[in-house]
Amino acid sequence: MSVTVGDSLPPFTIERISPEGMRDWSVFLADPNPIHLDVEAVRAKGLGDKRINQGPINVAYVINMLLAAFPGGRIEAMDSRFLDNVYEGDRVTATGTVTAVEGNRVSCTFTLDVDGRGTVNSGTATIAI
Amino acid sequence: MSDFPPAPDVAGTALDGIKVFTISAGENAALCRSIGVEPAADGSAHPIYYYIATQVAMGKTVAGLCETCEFDVDDGPMMGSSGVRFTAPLRVGESYKVTGEILSLVRKQSRKLGVMDVLTYRLRLHPATGGPALLETDNVWVLPRKELAA
Repeated sequence: MSVTVGDSLPPFTIERISPEGMRDWSVFLADPNPIHLDVEAVRAKGLGDKRINQGPINVAYVINMLLAAFPGGRIEAMDSRFLDNVYEGDRVTATGTVTAVEGNRVSCTFTLDVDGRGTVNSGTATIAI
Repeated sequence: MSDFPPAPDVAGTALDGIKVFTISAGENAALCRSIGVEPAADGSAHPIYYYIATQVAMGKTVAGLCETCEFDVDDGPMMGSSGVRFTAPLRVGESYKVTGEILSLVRKQSRKLGVMDVLTYRLRLHPATGGPALLETDNVWVLPRKELAA
């Protein structure tokens, strides 16, 4: 596999963030926070009128992008910063850029962007390929 | 800042868990499909289990962790950042346990959020049968202190 500094990683897109996914993840995370489940709870907290995706799901989208870019690769390290929320109905795309290649170890930067609102998650990752 | 009381002194609080977390094939498959991919064919679990397994099997619930910081979970903790270092992939069918601790709780004034506490905690995931950690994760949460707003 040929990897060069500056390479763009193929994007990974979720066309529509679904409330059903949030419901499933509230079980996976054992976290029944109603802002992920109940629009009325979101309104009551003054956080808008759409359910809010759990933060770790947004990291998982980025992981999908990285693993698709480097088939058979293994993530060694990853640092994510949460810059804004992702809401039900959003279309999100994870992308990345190679910043270093050392032997079989590739470093990249990444972002997760929401159509119309910009970057909601950014960070760095190192993958053994 | 001197007008505010200091953040609770919680650094060093242990987060060692007593639960064993097993990554089931069924849940891993459901999780993968919920985020638009198929589960890996090689028996590895989705790497996001670094966050899930450590959160679910740490020694406190999310609400309990907030309570330790004298923060009501209903006031809305926010994720600031999450970092992880893996030494080995997580495997479907394997069982894990968690050790960890709170690293710091620092009170700050933010132009956007007002007074807030920044919580940093570290968790490690070990084989349930014992042995060195397969991963270490540091998470940072922001706890808005509405009661200290001007």
